Amino acid sequence: MKRAAAPLAFGFLLLGGWEFAVRLGDIPAYILPGPVAIAAALWTNFADLGSSLAVTLEVTLAALALAAVSGALIAILLAQSPLAERIFFPYAVFLQVTPIVTIAPFVIIWVENVFVVLLILAWMAAIFPIISNTLLGLKSVDANLKDLFRLYGATRAQTVRRLMIPSALPYFLGGLRIAGGLALIGTVVAEMVAGTSGTRSGLASRLVEASYRLELALALACFFLLSAAGLVLYLALDALSRRLLRHWHESARTPA
Amino acid sequence: MTEAALRLAGAAKTYPTGTVALAPVNFEVGRGSFVSLVGPSGCGKSTLLRLMAGLLAPSHGTVSRGDDISETSFVFQDATLMPWADVRTNVALPLTLKGKSAETVPETLKRVGLERFAQSYPRELSGGMQMRASIARAIVTSPQLLLMDEPFAALDEFTRFRLNDDLLALWQQNHWTIVFVTHSIREAVFLSQRVIVMSPRPGRVVADLAIDLPDRRDEALRGSHAFADQCAKISELLRDVTTEHAA
Repeated sequence: MKRAAAPLAFGFLLLGGWEFAVRLGDIPAYILPGPVAIAAALWTNFADLGSSLAVTLEVTLAALALAAVSGALIAILLAQSPLAERIFFPYAVFLQVTPIVTIAPFVIIWVENVFVVLLILAWMAAIFPIISNTLLGLKSVDANLKDLFRLYGATRAQTVRRLMIPSALPYFLGGLRIAGGLALIGTVVAEMVAGTSGTRSGLASRLVEASYRLELALALACFFLLSAAGLVLYLALDALSRRLLRHWHESARTPA
Repeated sequence: MTEAALRLAGAAKTYPTGTVALAPVNFEVGRGSFVSLVGPSGCGKSTLLRLMAGLLAPSHGTVSRGDDISETSFVFQDATLMPWADVRTNVALPLTLKGKSAETVPETLKRVGLERFAQSYPRELSGGMQMRASIARAIVTSPQLLLMDEPFAALDEFTRFRLNDDLLALWQQNHWTIVFVTHSIREAVFLSQRVIVMSPRPGRVVADLAIDLPDRRDEALRGSHAFADQCAKISELLRDVTTEHAA
């Protein structure tokens, strides 16, 4: 708690300065509302924004889970043969370097269900770091341990399950932490492009909507909620990583 | 010598890059004997051990084992434990991979003095204790053949001596066949019934000596004249081959 005091104090100072500048300069609320106005907008629309946040998070978490499972499976398949990796990995890179926004219009045409559209786009944004990190981990298995498994007559399935997957776990979790942020970015971008899905609109489409109506306090409230969601997601994934690796990996060692 | 546990007939290894790691070697390792391989680094000792384990195929000649490969255990210079698994799981590995019961694990841990550390993770152990766990894993199957590749090279001398004593005691109780690679002449002489001296690359056998020391080997032996004489003899042989090689 003591460690958080300095950055928190800095944050309050910043917000205070902002509020002060807005009041002093008499800046209209449709150009730049102060923190108090934003907090008020957040407070009055809390239930409404909360349910929008739930919609966005639902897509983000579903896409992240899908990316984690499919990314890890793809990496395990690619690790089975250098040929498979040579054939398929370039397409994973292709997926990574293509900006999501440019694919969105096509996906919107081909897929009717908006939830599925958002899910596909967020999944595409999130999967690459999982594939590439997990693959790196699978290929970094200790050569002597591999020999030992061979010497003891381990089957391929045993080698994958008991040697390769645990070896790759820290790398996979590193990829997952990056993918969490990307899944949220993917969802937000997709919402902005795909628009709302009727009554159930996500927080990013609410943000765009509010900014069109020059309700900047509401738009900024959405912005801060999204940032907070991203932060919480990161912290949750970081905690998961520490928990899973606590006994053995250097990254989870608590500083003395 | 009784029945051979290992027989190398003209076994040689040339890597695909053209490097000749091992010139043809011929020797047998008797069942139940303790043989050390000494030589300068890069003399193909490790290659030879991997040929014996069946982890490498010889490019010429043959390596035949008296027993099935599943009866062979290997100890590396590093403890090579799975860092994500506790000591018990690591030691049980050779058994669980074969679907056998792990009931011999507690007794094996006791034999290497790790009974209180079954649930510790490798990083919580010292280097010497990690090596004990590695040895426990190697002996948990009661292997017919135990291949050890400079297992104590990374440890301090005090720990090394203790592990030497413990390894000898285990061998005297069980009479496994042990092939032990080391670059320490003193260690080789202290442990073995027989020392095979190898030349620098391409490795070949330059001497094959029976160690004429009493079966009972303890701290007093390390200071004895007989021990010093044996060490000096091998040291001289090694000096000859390395200077000959350099010339």
